[in-house]
This record gives sequence, structure tokens and C-alpha cells, in this order.
Amino acid sequence: MISFKFSRARSIALKEIRHILRDPFTVALALGLPFILVIFFGYAIDFDMKDIRLTCVDFDQSRASRQLTEIFSESGYFKIGFPERPDLFLQELDQEKTAGVLIVKPDFGKTLSSPGQTAKVQLLLDGADNSKTSAILSYLPGIQRAAAARLTGLKRQEPVKLRTRFLFNPELNSRWFVVPGLATVLIGLISILLTALTVAREWENGSMELLLSTPVRPLEIIVGKILPYVALGLGGVLFVYLAARIGFRVPFHGSHALFIAACLMFIMAGLSQGLLISVVTRQQQLAMQLSMISGLLPSLLLSGFIFPIESMPVFFHYFTAILPPRWFMVIARGIFLKGAGIGELIGPLAALLVMDIVLMTAATKRFKKDLEP
Amino acid sequence: MSPAAVEVMELTVRFGDFTAVDRLSFAVERGEIFGFLGANGAGKTTAIRTLCGLLRPTHGSARVAGLGYEDGGRALKGRVGYMSQRFTLYDDLTVDENMSFAAGLRKLSPEVLARRTEELFEFIGLTAPRNTLVRHLAGGIKQELALAAAILHDPEILFLDEPTSGVSPVARIRFWKLIRNLTEKGKTVIVTTHYMDEAEQCGRIALMRSGRLIALDSPAELKERTFPEPLLELDAQGRDPDDFLNTLRRNPGVIDVQPYGSRHHVTVRSSSEEAVLSSVPAGMSLRRIPPSLEDVFLRLVEGKDR
Repeated sequence: MISFKFSRARSIALKEIRHILRDPFTVALALGLPFILVIFFGYAIDFDMKDIRLTCVDFDQSRASRQLTEIFSESGYFKIGFPERPDLFLQELDQEKTAGVLIVKPDFGKTLSSPGQTAKVQLLLDGADNSKTSAILSYLPGIQRAAAARLTGLKRQEPVKLRTRFLFNPELNSRWFVVPGLATVLIGLISILLTALTVAREWENGSMELLLSTPVRPLEIIVGKILPYVALGLGGVLFVYLAARIGFRVPFHGSHALFIAACLMFIMAGLSQGLLISVVTRQQQLAMQLSMISGLLPSLLLSGFIFPIESMPVFFHYFTAILPPRWFMVIARGIFLKGAGIGELIGPLAALLVMDIVLMTAATKRFKKDLEP
Repeated sequence: MSPAAVEVMELTVRFGDFTAVDRLSFAVERGEIFGFLGANGAGKTTAIRTLCGLLRPTHGSARVAGLGYEDGGRALKGRVGYMSQRFTLYDDLTVDENMSFAAGLRKLSPEVLARRTEELFEFIGLTAPRNTLVRHLAGGIKQELALAAAILHDPEILFLDEPTSGVSPVARIRFWKLIRNLTEKGKTVIVTTHYMDEAEQCGRIALMRSGRLIALDSPAELKERTFPEPLLELDAQGRDPDDFLNTLRRNPGVIDVQPYGSRHHVTVRSSSEEAVLSSVPAGMSLRRIPPSLEDVFLRLVEGKDR
């Protein structure tokens, strides 16, 4: 616009900052939410299994069987306990006091020392807890190898050996994976929800009309209302970044400039979406609900933050493609962990840019149409 | 420069099929207090919002301070002040913050803002500290502050949409004093109201019904024109007036009998006034009264619905 006056936008932004500072809800949301999310996803929810409880029923009571349980404990993944009454071990599994029961038969030690025979151990797992069981299963081959080597004293020959190395996140530390993704959830929520609320509030209490009775332009209103929330969004990103780097020692391999640019693009998409919601609803209550559904849920569930998109039904492969959080998730993780540059991220960046343009155009068009009679 | 502050020709505003304002024509002189009176939904607010540049006329034209809507109404908006009935000031901002926000929207310099707030706070007699949150102010003071914010940029024309709804009678009297002070300084004030005592204070009143202008004149002229015949008020003073009312209704010299609270207003032909006055039964009082604006309103606005 030709005669865009920054001073008017600045007045609106200043007023907005005062609203924010005087509203406990906004302050709590902007400051508290990043903190809670980081604590929640960084510490409380740990997708890595450590110290899984296993109950060992040792009918053998030999040196070999004791060695076997030690191998389990020393791996760090398992914590071995012994039942008070060995005949009631199934009860422990029923009552979820243990994740599995390891049964060592009375002849375990003997079979082991007789050549040509395979000593067998039975492991009963709680199939009701799918994720835990699959985690345990993934640890078992390693334990088996360690046990075979230590108990028989010789390395078995393996005709084909698959050696897997995990690049970018060698320890498969789930925090490395989760914490950068938090930036997505945070921006998704702050930018969409707060923008939707702030503009809807002006409509709801009739003050938008007062703004419009002055020579102020729609673009000045948009820029003024949005700027403080861009800052809040970036503040949230900075918090997540510091928490990731300092709190969780997540490496950052990529370019900071590219990361900030991508954040701004994603924030833009969120703000436009929030603006669109507020113009359509014009009510804070409704705007809040719509923002939650269209903002929080996709960034939490459909972005690949927790559930990999590859394992979703085919429909969602396409559906998530129109959601900004999915692309920003790829970008955030790529820059953090892989050090990806523009070359590698050109696809997601382009997708984000297209969505920015579409959402921005829709929001400002609708907004201007409503404002200019 | 156009001599009239506002000039409206055949102004029509439609929302879809609904005609909110229907072929309105009038002119408002500089320094005038011009009132819009009418029931809810009569089109008063739509008319005012159009004149402020918040809506565009569907047909017809309006010149406000000599300006039209050619540039999106921006020049016009710079010359007028507007106080809406729904929103006055931001509750969670202080007095000063509200003022500096209003100044920012109008691009007033800090010097002008300081000078004007000083002048206006004296004008409205503000005693509350300037760092008080607006939420803690009384309704009447809030209204006066909103007025100050609306005229911060010293507009020639001020539009007030039911400015005193929800404030105390004392505060209303104070507020109208401010409005008169403004017009004495040459400002033009256009106001909507549904309080009759407020309408009485307007220089001229535009009476609206279903988007149409049905009468436009000074309060005195409106009364004179609507009630050329004498208006009598019957006070039964606790007695049963029904027999007498029936006698009156049968009297060819009586034009109309209207209940008015616990009393009745009786319109008679001038030639029959004496006879009717002397026919009043003992213990009741019947006397000639000047018609009030409420009588005019009832006759013109509601009367046509019957």
C-alpha cells in the first residue's frame, strides 16, 4: 500500500503490548506454555525405555543363570526383580508390577555347558502395552548377543552381519527428536490462538468500529496487531532453542539464519490463519475453539511430532501436505539434527511459502472486505 | 467551502434486501446540535455510521465537511469525531494510554497530544489520576473521557451514537452541558438518542421510522405542527374516569384520547376547548398542557403503525 503509515501501526502495536501485559491469561500462555511443554515432552514423556522392570523366576539358581540376569541389568534397559513367591509370578504381570517375566528353566546351566545344545530362556511379555513391548523386543537381540558371547566364552560365527549405524542421532535419543519439534507446537499455538483472540476481541467489544472511524488503514491494523505476536512467537522459539541446546544438549548443525527465516515463515502462516479465524468468527469463544482445533491438533498430531506421517493411512499423507506444521516439523528437525541447508529443504520451504501466500491473501482479502464498506 | 456541515441527498443504505436508510435528505448547519430520534432499528445508527465513513451509501450522496467518499472516506474521517454506543475506551488501559492511542491513530504529535489532553481534561473537569485504569472509573466519567478522546484531534463535526446510554441522570446533564459548550465554540454535533429530555436540547430533530425521515424541525416547531389543536391532560385523581372518557369519545369536538401513564391526553378542536374543559366532573382535573416531544413521538412514530 502506498501510504502505509508505520506510526499508526506502531500505536496499535504499543496498545496491543499493553493489553498483553495486563492480561494474565496471555502472559501465562506466552510464558508458561513453552515451559510446561518443554518439561512435559522433554522430561516426563520419554519415548526411550530405560530401567524396564522384568521379574526373573530363576528355577536354575546356577552361576550361569545369575550371569544372565546380570547381563540384562547391565544393559541399562532392564531392572531385574525377583518375586516373593515364584509360583505367583503371573500375578505380577497381571497387576502390571512388571513389564515381563523371565523364566530360567532348571537345566539352563547344564544345557549351556553341553556342546551342541541351545539353552533356552522364556520371556513372557505384556502384549497389552504395545509400545513398551516393541521397545523391549528391539533391545533383545543385543542382549542375546551379549549373553551368547559371555556365557559360552566364544563368538558365534554369523554368516551375514547387518551393522546398523544411526546417523544424526546415534543414540536414538528421543529428546533430540522431540524438543526441536516443540518449536512447531509452540508457534502453531501462540501465533494462531493469540492472533485469533486479539482480533476477535476488537470485533466483539465493538472497538474495531472505533479504529475504523479514524483514517487508519486495514493494513496498518493488521501489522500493528500482529507484530507483538511475531515477537512472542520468536520468543517462544528462542526459549525452545535454549532449552534444547542447554537443557537437553541437542546439537544444532544447521544455519541459524535459515532457521529464523523458516520460523518467520511458519509464524506468518499461523498469524494469517489466526486472522482468518477471527474475521470469520468475530467472537473470542468461537475463535478460541477453532484455533485449538485447527492449530493445536494438527501441530501435535498431524505434523509428525509424535506419530510418523509415514505410518498414517494414505489419506493423511496427502491431507497433512496442506498443513504448515508438517512442513515446518521437517525443517526444524532437519536444521537441528542434520544440518540441512536450503538445498535439502527446498521442498518443505516452498510448501510453507505457498501456504503463507495463500493464507495471507485469504486473510487480508477477507479482512479488508469486512473493513472497507 | 460548503456552508453546511453535512449535506445529505437521497441517502439510501441497503444491507442485502433490507433497506436500513431510505432516501434521506437534509442539511446540518455549522454549530448546530442535530438529533436523530427514533425507535430501535429506525436507521439512526446506520445513518450516523454512513456519515462517519464507516458505511458507504448504496444510493444518493452525502457531503460531510464538504468531503465525500472518493478516497475511501479517509479525508472525511480526519475531519470528524465519532463516539459509538457499544464501545468507548479500552478498560484495561489507563486514561493516558487511551488518549495516546487515540492520538497515535490520528497521527498527532506528542506536543499536540499533551496540549489537547491538558485542555480537554480541564474541559471535562477530570479529577481522577491519569494513570487510573479506565475500568475503575464511573460510567459518567468514562463517557466524558470517551468524548475527550473523540475530539482529541479537534474535529469540526462530532457524531455521537447514543452517548449517554447507561449513565446516571446527573452524568447525562453534565454530558449535555459539554455538548452545548462544544457547539458554542462552533463545532457541529450530530447525536442519536432515545431520551426525550435530550432530544429537547437539540436545535433540530430528525424523526426516523423504518429508515425514513418522517419529520424534521426544532422541538418547538415539531410540537406546534403535530399538535395545532389544544392538548388537554385529564387527571382522574384516583376516581374512575371511564364514564367521562366515553362521553369525551362521543363528543364530536374531541379528536383523540390517549392513555398517558395513569393520566389521559385529550386532543380537542380549538372551538370546543372551553366546552370540554367545563364538562369535567368534580374531583377530576382537566387542564391544557403544552405537548411534549413524547406526545409528538407517540403521534408521529407509533401513531402511524395503528
